[in-house]
Amino acid sequence: MAAASFEIDQDTKGRRRVRLLGQWSLRALDNDFAELKQALQPFFSDPFTQWDLLATEQLDTAGATVLLNGWEGKLDARMQVTDEQRALFTTLQGLRAPQRTGSRIDWALPLVATGELVLKFAQHLTDFVQLIGLLLLEMLYLLRRPSAFPWREFMANIYKSGVTALPVTGLLGFMIGIAMSYLMSSQLRTFGADIFIVNILGLSMIRELGPILMAILVAGRSGSAMTAQIGVMRVTEEIDALTTMGVSRILRIVLPKVLGLTFVAPFLVLWTSFWGLAGGALSANTELGLSFRFFFDYLPMVVEPVNLTLSLFKGVLFGFVVTLVACHFGLRIMPNTESLSASTTSSVVTAITSVILLDAAFAILTRGIGV
Amino acid sequence: MSDTANNKPSTPPAPVCEARHVWTEFGDVVIHRDLNLVMERGEIMALVGGSGSGKTTLLRHIVGLTEPSRGDILLFGENLHALERERRQRLMTRLGMLFQQGALFSALSVFDNIAFPLRELKQFDEDTIHTLVMHKLTLVELEPQHASLLPAQLSGGMIKRVGLARALALEPELLVLDEPTAGLDPDRSSKFVGLIKQIKQTLGLTVLFVTHDIDTLIAMSDRVAVLADKHIITACSLQALGEVDHPFVTNFFQGIHARMERS
Repeated sequence: MAAASFEIDQDTKGRRRVRLLGQWSLRALDNDFAELKQALQPFFSDPFTQWDLLATEQLDTAGATVLLNGWEGKLDARMQVTDEQRALFTTLQGLRAPQRTGSRIDWALPLVATGELVLKFAQHLTDFVQLIGLLLLEMLYLLRRPSAFPWREFMANIYKSGVTALPVTGLLGFMIGIAMSYLMSSQLRTFGADIFIVNILGLSMIRELGPILMAILVAGRSGSAMTAQIGVMRVTEEIDALTTMGVSRILRIVLPKVLGLTFVAPFLVLWTSFWGLAGGALSANTELGLSFRFFFDYLPMVVEPVNLTLSLFKGVLFGFVVTLVACHFGLRIMPNTESLSASTTSSVVTAITSVILLDAAFAILTRGIGV
Repeated sequence: MSDTANNKPSTPPAPVCEARHVWTEFGDVVIHRDLNLVMERGEIMALVGGSGSGKTTLLRHIVGLTEPSRGDILLFGENLHALERERRQRLMTRLGMLFQQGALFSALSVFDNIAFPLRELKQFDEDTIHTLVMHKLTLVELEPQHASLLPAQLSGGMIKRVGLARALALEPELLVLDEPTAGLDPDRSSKFVGLIKQIKQTLGLTVLFVTHDIDTLIAMSDRVAVLADKHIITACSLQALGEVDHPFVTNFFQGIHARMERS
């Protein structure tokens, strides 16, 4: 048992003869075929070299392939091989050669890619609308059979995406409130407009930041979790198992998630906005000397209550969109790891993007209300 | 233990795989108690035992996924866990494992799955890798056009065969199979057994496999190791199993006997 090696003889006519020795196989742990190939290169390129394989201890397909590729796939009288080795070489020669795909530049590629993108987008849109339709049908069914409502799953989703999100949304709102109030108070003080901090903070926190912060956090926290969960359920055929038991997958998996998060989202918005205002009030208190009592007494006078209604409405809408996007991408996951990661990423990115787009549209449509 | 093993002269060749006084404990639960097993070069050994008797755990010890709490597992005369990293990596290329569910990389095509261990070696160019992969595909009787499929597009039997091709990619000396025929219909499973035996002849392998399937056991094994009462109670040929007096073996052997008489 020895590692692969070779020695060179030269006969009287000056022809070189390569004698291969040792184990020409992967089983000898010290073999490095890259090095061997490098060392044999001058002999491979010389068409008059004689090869003697009779003294090899072992030759496996890896060793044989390296040699055969060096000989450019030809086996002729220059090579002295045993019958066994000849059989191995013949087998390898019979295999299909790698197909060379030409690397031509395809000028139509950008056009094709754009077209495919549009088609893919249309497909997503169709599926999305279809999902909404299925959801509506299930709700109609629930109107006829209210006892079929999946209460357990509904409650579980409220807890998972609502209650457990309280600490992080509260903390985030509080920190943003402090930062905004701190930065703005120094600006307002230069104009002597200290008191407007309540107007600015109240309006931005209640109308804009509360719903948006909530939606982004929930998309990252619960949206990704929902996509991954539905995806793995698809991969492990759990969804098929549910269907064979006569349980509707939309009713049991998608509907409780959508209703649960849509139900709990306005409360999360209230909670986030409250902590944002609390942080703002704290900062205003230390920076501008506004008392908490004054801050919260003055707030309803300068910020019309209709802003709160708008904010709650946005909360419902955002919660609905985030869950629907998450479920949509979850149901599209193919049974492989690549698709799982890609779909989860798309789910979060799409959810956040659509929430921000919706928010912009909403801001324009309601520009006459409450300001 | 390991000292004597390491100092042992390299001739005669060490057994392919050896378990010496292996204990496995998970908390208070003892899985293996003083288990011993020796596998000789070139044999096909079956590992049988009741459900939950620790067969898969032993298999995982042997391929180096887990480590026994006490005792040594020697592969080709060396303790995997005592080796330094690079030496261990090289030694682990000498064994191939076929997992029960195939464990193919789901994001890679059949071709890339089989090419993976070859590429990891970093010794071959793509042409060589292509030839070697195609050779392994023919070895497990798959068509070249299957190479571009993804694991999700394969049937159960094909997944097993691709898994086998991947396990064989580096032409290992030891092939470990976890339930090779589970989930295959009788026809497919007897074909798969024939395939493994044929490859064993071609490449000169040592095979260790776990099975619950009596047909596979009869068709494939040279020796049967019985894992019961937390250790290997016997490792002998199928015929000799009839003389072993142990409730599990007697029960098991009756099944074999009935099957053999029928065929």
